[in-house]
Amino acid sequence: MADSLSPEELAKHKKSYTAVGIALLVFTCITLALGIWPPLDLGVPGATWEDVVIGLTVAGVKASLVALIFMHLNHEKSLIYKFLLFTFFFFLGLMFLTLFALWDPIREAIDSYYTRG
Amino acid sequence: MEIPYEVTARRDTGLYNAKIGIWLFLASEVMLFGGLFSAYVFLRVGVIDGVDTPWPLGLDVHKQFVWIGFVNTIVLIASSVFVVFAWVSLKERNYQRFQIWMVAVVLCAAAFMVNKFIEYKNKLTEHHGIKLVDNSVMEGKIVHDTEKIKFAADSLNVPLQGGLPAFLGDFEGDFPAFKAVYVGKEEEGKEPVKIEKSGSSAGDFADWFYEARRQVAEDLAEERKKLRDAKKEGKTYQMKPVPTKGTVTPAAGEGGESEPFVLRPDNRKMVNYSRSEDGPDKLNYIDAVTVDGKVLADKIEYELHEINLQQVPITKQDSAKLWEIFESQGHGYVKDEFMEHQAERIQELRTKFKDKPIPAKVMQSAFVNLIEAHLHEPKTGEKKGGGDVHGEKAKVNPAADDGHDKKDDHGDGHHGHYTVLIDRGDVKFFGNHGPRYGNYYAIYFTMTALHGLHVVGGALVLAYFLIFGKKLYLKNPEHLANRVEVGGLFWHFVDLVWIFLFPIMYLL
Repeated sequence: MADSLSPEELAKHKKSYTAVGIALLVFTCITLALGIWPPLDLGVPGATWEDVVIGLTVAGVKASLVALIFMHLNHEKSLIYKFLLFTFFFFLGLMFLTLFALWDPIREAIDSYYTRG
Repeated sequence: MEIPYEVTARRDTGLYNAKIGIWLFLASEVMLFGGLFSAYVFLRVGVIDGVDTPWPLGLDVHKQFVWIGFVNTIVLIASSVFVVFAWVSLKERNYQRFQIWMVAVVLCAAAFMVNKFIEYKNKLTEHHGIKLVDNSVMEGKIVHDTEKIKFAADSLNVPLQGGLPAFLGDFEGDFPAFKAVYVGKEEEGKEPVKIEKSGSSAGDFADWFYEARRQVAEDLAEERKKLRDAKKEGKTYQMKPVPTKGTVTPAAGEGGESEPFVLRPDNRKMVNYSRSEDGPDKLNYIDAVTVDGKVLADKIEYELHEINLQQVPITKQDSAKLWEIFESQGHGYVKDEFMEHQAERIQELRTKFKDKPIPAKVMQSAFVNLIEAHLHEPKTGEKKGGGDVHGEKAKVNPAADDGHDKKDDHGDGHHGHYTVLIDRGDVKFFGNHGPRYGNYYAIYFTMTALHGLHVVGGALVLAYFLIFGKKLYLKNPEHLANRVEVGGLFWHFVDLVWIFLFPIMYLL
C-alpha cells in the first residue's frame, strides 16, 4: 500500500470492504444451502463430483475475494506476485500427489473387491 | 539502533520489510495447510470403498455440527472485515475507532474458540460409535462404565520375559492378596527351582517377577551354553525345556477366604476373551498373559441414535449382526423399517439414474445403506426385555425392562433414543469421536486444531496491538498501521483457510 492515502481513497476502500463483507456472507449462505438444502443435492451422502465442483468453486470465489480485496492482492508490488507464483506451483504439486495415489493399482484392487457387492 | 524500512518502503522492492516477511511466512503456511488439504483429498476419495469407518456425512451426529461451522464462518468473515476497518481507522488517524474495531476482532476470535470448544467437547464426550464384528456401525452414546469387561480371575499365567505385565493396573479396588509361583526346569537328580511369593502389593509382585525372570534368563543361557559347548566338541545336545511362565493365584486375604481377582482391563490391553460352557472362561492380554476365570459383566449399555451399514455389502445387510441384537431386545421392527426405507432409497436412485445402471460406488455409498434409527415402543406381542444374549439377566442395565419407555426426545419429536445392550464379544471397535475413531475424525482434528492454534496466535498478536499500540501510535501512527496491516494479512489468511475447511469438513 502507498504510505499515505487520500480521504477519498480511504472512503473508496471502506465501501469495497463493506461490499466484499456482504458478498462473503451471501456466499457462505449459498455454501450452507448447497450443503443442507435437498434440491441442491450437495451434502447428501455420496456427494457427486458436480457437488464437489460447485462447493469448491464457491469457496474459491470467496477465497479470491479475501485475497484480492482484504489482502490487497489486486494492487500489490510485483515481488509479492513472484513469491506467490512459486507458492502456487508447489501447491499444485502437493495436490497432484493425491492424483498419483489415485492411480495406485493396489487401491484399484481394493476398489473392485469392495464394490462387487 | 533504528531498524530500516519499518515505515517507508525500500526502493528496490517497493515494500516495507515486514510486508515481505509476512508474505514469505504466508507462503510457507500455504504449503503447510496445502499438505494437509492434499491428505484430506486422499482420505476423502478413498473412503467410499468402505475400508475405513465411513465418512459421517449425512449422519445426524454430524449434521448437528454444520450450524456450528456455519456460525464460525460468519464470525471469522466478520472479524476479517473488522480488521481491515481497524487498519483504515489508523490510516484516518482515528485511534479510538481503531480500538473499537480491534476489540470486535478479538471478541470474534474468542467466540470462534468457544464454539470450537463446544464442538470438540461434544465429539469427545457425547458421542461413541460401535463397530460390530461384521462392520455394521452404530452411533450413539455409551451410558455405563460397562465398556470395560469385568472378569473374575482364578489364575493368571504370566510370561517371565520382558517387562512387568499390564494386568497390574487392572484390579478393581486395592491390590489383592496373591500367591505367585514359578517352577523351573526339571533336571535329573535335582529338585526343580521353585520361586514362590505371597504378598499384597505391586512391589511384592515385582520382587517375585524379577527374581523369577532372572532365573528364566539364567536357565535359558545355561541351556544355550551347553548347546554351544556340545557343538564345539562335535556332539549333539538336546536342550531341556525351560518353563517361561509363572502362575499367579488369589491368596487368602485378611478375611481368611481367598476370592478371585476382579480385573477390569482396558479394551486396548486385551487381545480377546472367550466364554466356555464346561471350562473356565479365558481372557488373553496383549502381553501374552492368559487368565482363567469367569466373565462377570461385559455388556455395553448404549444409547442408540443411528445405524450405519455403509460398510456391510448390500447382499449381507439382511443378516447384519445388529439385527440379532435388536431382535433379542424387542426391537425387531427396526430391521423391517430399515429395509423398507432402503427399498425406497433404491427406487429413488433408479428414478434418478433413469435407464443408466447405478454406479457401484453410489450404490455402496451412504445413499442406500444409511438410515437413522427410529426405535419406538415395541408393538404388542413382540418380545420384551433385553440383555439375555448369553442367558445372563442384564443386571447392568437398569433400563432393560422399562427401557422402551425411556424416550428422550431431543426436541425434534420422532428421534427416540433407546438403550440397547451390546455384548462385547460382538464388538470389533468402539470409541468416542476422537481422532482415532476414523479417518474423518483424524483429519478433522488435525486440520481444525492447527487452524484453531492459528486463530489463537493471530488473536494474541492483534490483542497486543490493541493493548500496547498507543505508545507507537503517538510516536509514528504509520508504523502501527503497518503492523496492523501485517497482522491483518495473517488474520485474513486464517479466514481464508477456514473458508475451505467449512465446506470440506462439514458439507462434502
